[in-house]
Amino acid sequence: MRIVIAEDAAVLRDGMSHVLTLRGHEVAAAVATADDLLTAVAEHRPDVAIADIRMPPTHTDEGLRAAITIRRDHPETGVLVFSQYIETRYAADLLAGGAQKVGYLLKDRVADVGDFIDALTRVAAGGTVLDPDVVTQMFAVTRRADGLRDLTDREHDVLALMAEGRSNTAIAEQLSLAGTSVEKHITRIFSKLRLEATTSSHRRVLAVLHYLRS
Amino acid sequence: MRRLSYSLIGLPLGLLGLLYVAVTVLAGSVLSLTAIGLPFLAAGVRGARLLGRLHHGLARRLLGVTSIGPAPPRRSSGFTDWVKVGLTDRAGWQAVVYLILKAPIGLLAAAISIFFYGYGLAALSYPVWWRFIPAQPDKTGVPRSGLPLPGDIFLDTWTLALLASVVGAAMLLAGPMVLQVVLSLDRLAIAGLLGPGTLRDRVRELEQTRAFAVQDSAAALRRIERDLHDGAQARLVAMAMNLGAAKEQLDQSGADPKALELVDYAHRDAKEALVELRNLARGIHPPILDNGLDDALATLVARSRVPVDLTVSLTERPAQAVESIAYYCVAELLTNVAKHSRADRAAISVDQRDGALHLRVADHGQGGAEPRGGLAGLAERVRTVDGRLAISSPAGGPTIVTVELPCAS
Repeated sequence: MRIVIAEDAAVLRDGMSHVLTLRGHEVAAAVATADDLLTAVAEHRPDVAIADIRMPPTHTDEGLRAAITIRRDHPETGVLVFSQYIETRYAADLLAGGAQKVGYLLKDRVADVGDFIDALTRVAAGGTVLDPDVVTQMFAVTRRADGLRDLTDREHDVLALMAEGRSNTAIAEQLSLAGTSVEKHITRIFSKLRLEATTSSHRRVLAVLHYLRS
Repeated sequence: MRRLSYSLIGLPLGLLGLLYVAVTVLAGSVLSLTAIGLPFLAAGVRGARLLGRLHHGLARRLLGVTSIGPAPPRRSSGFTDWVKVGLTDRAGWQAVVYLILKAPIGLLAAAISIFFYGYGLAALSYPVWWRFIPAQPDKTGVPRSGLPLPGDIFLDTWTLALLASVVGAAMLLAGPMVLQVVLSLDRLAIAGLLGPGTLRDRVRELEQTRAFAVQDSAAALRRIERDLHDGAQARLVAMAMNLGAAKEQLDQSGADPKALELVDYAHRDAKEALVELRNLARGIHPPILDNGLDDALATLVARSRVPVDLTVSLTERPAQAVESIAYYCVAELLTNVAKHSRADRAAISVDQRDGALHLRVADHGQGGAEPRGGLAGLAERVRTVDGRLAISSPAGGPTIVTVELPCAS
């Protein structure tokens, strides 16, 4: 994969570049600000861009805003956003432009290098990666939203994994279920959320967005 | 003795003060028709304040005055402000008045000191030295020894000499008392003009310094959180990542399982340290607050176990310290709702009116909340910015907590 990294802490920026290069990926650019990130993405057209949410000058959400810009201007580039804290509002803002080729993870997750690279690969391939913490928080919000309240605990688990961007097979494996019962759960989730039948992947995204928005 | 030295030092100092006032204030007033007049006058008033401090310090040292001096003038920003602060400095003008009053008081005190102590001492010791006074002729031309007094009286007998000595002793004894009377005038002037000012001034000053302290600590906490984020947290993430990479490398290369186990422990410890550090940093200052109170409250509510209806309407951004107190109030109150109220919903409203931020957290739970423990701590915190916290929580509910935080800029 060709990757661009934006992270203001030099120690982490260099560390990520090093680890990704060791694993055979090409780090086209490693920058420290959101503006440089936008320039680097326009120049290198990477498969995926990694952005820390909090960067200079204001240290609030410039990384997130840059990520949203990249999603709009370079839809072919996947965006994986990192932050020190999971804020549901950030997740909702990020996913407002659709749930493809996007990820939002707690910064700690880079510690598990295999999972980190797996997440990058999934985002580059068009998937959605949401931190388990995002999902947990979403549940706190969504449990009370109409329709979502009717979900059983098992259906919640399935939806949580869907929100993390897992495939049906991965969900079945994770929850030790048969592939067919995962499909049944998903169908019930769709009907409880009153999602009209269009293409199944589209409904998947809508189901995930449903809690993100509520 | 101290009073005596005070009186004697007071004379030149008092005259100097009067001269100073005459030169600077009068010249400044005259010059105020020109451009340099007002700055000159401002400098003069500031100088008078310093002279006032000198007098006050002397009185504290020698007269045992215990009052403290006036608060320092407000810190100015720029030259024009410096002039303005100088000219409107009440304590400075009071010092000017004191310097004017001090001249006659000082003169009187010095005169009394010299008269009572000087003459008293001379009279007391008269029997010792009267014999050495050369003889002078009196009116009738007869040479007489001793000191001549008005009315052609010569103190030329031992009886008179002893009498003079008694009078001298009496003067020395009376001196301090007379001096005391004059100096009490001075004390009065010092208390009225050089003292700490009225209670209202003092209260205003305390309000300002407290506001500064509260703001300063909010800014310091924010800085600490940011330093943690940019420093220790980033380094720890990098370390955990490298340990993770090392672990995978060892695993794949079939290295010593004991080494793998150790690296695995270190990796897990680093990750746990990250979680702890994150919780600590968030407790110090939630970074989402930098985006504004509405965003911060929205994420707080999103994390709440009890569903919350949140309405926030802010017309202008409150001070950092106020935002942070409001945030922690809502956090604590929401925790209370989740822990104690048994309510299945809560409502939070935040709005700004009459120069204050109003928070209202309400639930239809079982009520009976009392202003103890966490709630009492919260009330204390609210009071640091002159805010108010009120609880209404009858048994059976509903519980309504209102918090009012002044945020006039």
